[in-house]
Amino acid sequence: MDPARYAALFVSEGREHLGTCNQLLRELADHPDSTEPVSGLFRAMHTLKGMAAMMGYAAITDLAHRTENLLELVRGKKVTADRALVELLSEAVDALDAGVDEVAAGREAGLSFGEVTGRIDLVAGAAEPAAEAPSAMVTAGPSVAPPRKRGGPRPQAVLVRIAADAPMPGVRALLVLQQARTLGDVEGVQPAEASFQQAGFRGEFRFWLASRRAASTIIKTLSATGEVASVTVGEEAVPEEVASGESAASGSRVQHLIRVDRRRLDALMNHVGELVVARNRLLELAADEPDSELAALGGRINRLVADIQNEVIAARLTPVWQVFDRFPRAVRDLARDLGKQVALSMEGTDIEVDRSMLDEIGDPLLHLLRNAVDHGIETPAARRAAGKAEEGRITLRGRRERNRVVFDVLDDGAGIDRAAILKKAQAAGVVGDDVDTLDDDALLRVLGRAGFSTAERVTSVSGRGVGIDVVLTRIRSLGGSVELHTVAGSGTHFTLRLPLTLVIFRALVARVGGERYVVPMAFVSETVHFSEASHADLDGRPSLVLRGDVLPTIDLREVVAYPENHVPARRPCIVLEVGDRRTALVVDALLGQREIVVEQFEAPHGMPLVFSGATILADGAPALILDAASLC
Amino acid sequence: MSHTVLVCDDAIFMRTMIGDILSQAGFEVVGEAETGVQAVEKYGQLKPDLVTMDIVMPDMGGIDAVREICKSDPDAKILMCSAMGQQALVVEAIQAGAKDFVVKPFQPSRVLEAVQRVLG
Repeated sequence: MDPARYAALFVSEGREHLGTCNQLLRELADHPDSTEPVSGLFRAMHTLKGMAAMMGYAAITDLAHRTENLLELVRGKKVTADRALVELLSEAVDALDAGVDEVAAGREAGLSFGEVTGRIDLVAGAAEPAAEAPSAMVTAGPSVAPPRKRGGPRPQAVLVRIAADAPMPGVRALLVLQQARTLGDVEGVQPAEASFQQAGFRGEFRFWLASRRAASTIIKTLSATGEVASVTVGEEAVPEEVASGESAASGSRVQHLIRVDRRRLDALMNHVGELVVARNRLLELAADEPDSELAALGGRINRLVADIQNEVIAARLTPVWQVFDRFPRAVRDLARDLGKQVALSMEGTDIEVDRSMLDEIGDPLLHLLRNAVDHGIETPAARRAAGKAEEGRITLRGRRERNRVVFDVLDDGAGIDRAAILKKAQAAGVVGDDVDTLDDDALLRVLGRAGFSTAERVTSVSGRGVGIDVVLTRIRSLGGSVELHTVAGSGTHFTLRLPLTLVIFRALVARVGGERYVVPMAFVSETVHFSEASHADLDGRPSLVLRGDVLPTIDLREVVAYPENHVPARRPCIVLEVGDRRTALVVDALLGQREIVVEQFEAPHGMPLVFSGATILADGAPALILDAASLC
Repeated sequence: MSHTVLVCDDAIFMRTMIGDILSQAGFEVVGEAETGVQAVEKYGQLKPDLVTMDIVMPDMGGIDAVREICKSDPDAKILMCSAMGQQALVVEAIQAGAKDFVVKPFQPSRVLEAVQRVLG
């Protein structure tokens, strides 16, 4: 496929649609009550959005999406098509037109439509009532099997989990139910089918299925619906009787529970880790004899190991509130000691992460919260002087993003003082004197240096040389990344992205010269060939043009200082994606995907800070894990 | 023999991209439609093994097209290509007879997996 061809198609067709929009806007101005121009505008925006999304043009996708939403409100008569609205829509179309021109010039990367977007949101927000809170999940469902129909098969309990990264899990769940109905009578679906499309639906549901088919057939048939993580049939799928009056909102999923010493689960997890390595070796051996019994057995063992792995991971999943629960008190106490008024709100506290991960993220999160109270939120007097509410707000939010878990720590305080940090960094010789401003990334790099503390005065929580560097190191050692966004006067936003589980993850194995390195798949968006055609210079740095986007490239040979001999002519590229940043990593060869087990890793002094850990490959050789976040 | 496909989308861009993904995987794209009406007509003429269907199209949308096609051929294998935020419409399309769906932006592998499922 030729990315340039798609970019050219995007430009020509995008212009065509925007031209149509201008024409329709004129019609709408003349006939404000006519529905046809609005429908046409809606379709054009929708099509443009879809195309831009496919090309990865985030800014255009976003503006087209918001404009489409606004048009939907006009269509539903919630917003009137008056002169001001037509003007606003014209501005959006003009902005998009300019965006398409930027794409044509290969400059999409820097696009931003903040101003127009903001005004569209204002108009749409005023017309659209705030989204209703998702109704509570039904936990008290029929835990007793429905009566067996005369002569009919006995109903069996079925529990289905949709894959965490599946788009529209509610629709996928509906397809699974449809499939189940081809096998027999379905009853007692919980949560109710009607709630599948609500925001709170987490891709997990149960039902009773009266079918003559064997459990294995049911599992196979339902799994074939696609994007299904697991299907459980029989006793384990039966929910335990839920005590009446138990709050559904607490998210308790009472099942048949037994107590297990955590160390047992940890030991089991470690064994599974070793099993995965052994399985990989077996699969490599089997690959040499494709049609043999060994290959067949290898395939079977492969599936079994994957099942065990999923079960063990699921058994270790723990809701984050177990750790979050101690935060409100810590924040309250610190705020009181400092004479500040702070309200902490926590969202997404029932998302689940691996137990070992949970133990590790508690401290870094608490550190960021304390920092927010200490350095972020101003004193009530200062806030009042700045025209803000005396009470500062801190938000801790947990959420899932594909196969990652993300934590946001936001405060509405003073923001980080870039000038002060720059001065201090220059005094310490960390940043050259020619630098006159620090952007968010540079700021994070400076703050992340060991011992760089910025407190103007010594308090009980800072000024001891323990700062952001500890947070950064800890998160990276877990295979995660940290992002910082701060605005003077309005606040600071830290984003922590982590893999769902700690110990095992899928990774891409790459080679340079005779050495192998691995990259976590969670940060790989795609792989492409690095050729002259797709090669450009951006400010003197080699760059890759990918579907109209210009990505900076890094040569892994240079990163690991590998001698420059035997460089292959054609070299593949791994496109790394961390948040909204992408970088192309050039390697000598790609050796395929593997499940890898992360080993504890202490970086020797002087080693480049681009590795987050080490692993043992199937043939017993060690390999270093590249830290995507520090390369991006 | 390779499977035949009818690609329905009002954007040339999307038809090209979906067509490329499928033909590179060995499918034969036998026709394209840019409106719902065309989709129904071409389905009758070409009897393809598979249809990819956009939801928002001028001149009869994708959902009505699915309904019409399934009326004449209840075994029609239709894959919906939806955009984000159209959950309710995808549900409607599936109730109308579509077999599976993908959500834009999609990776080629996601489309091919869904196609394999639809073709069973």
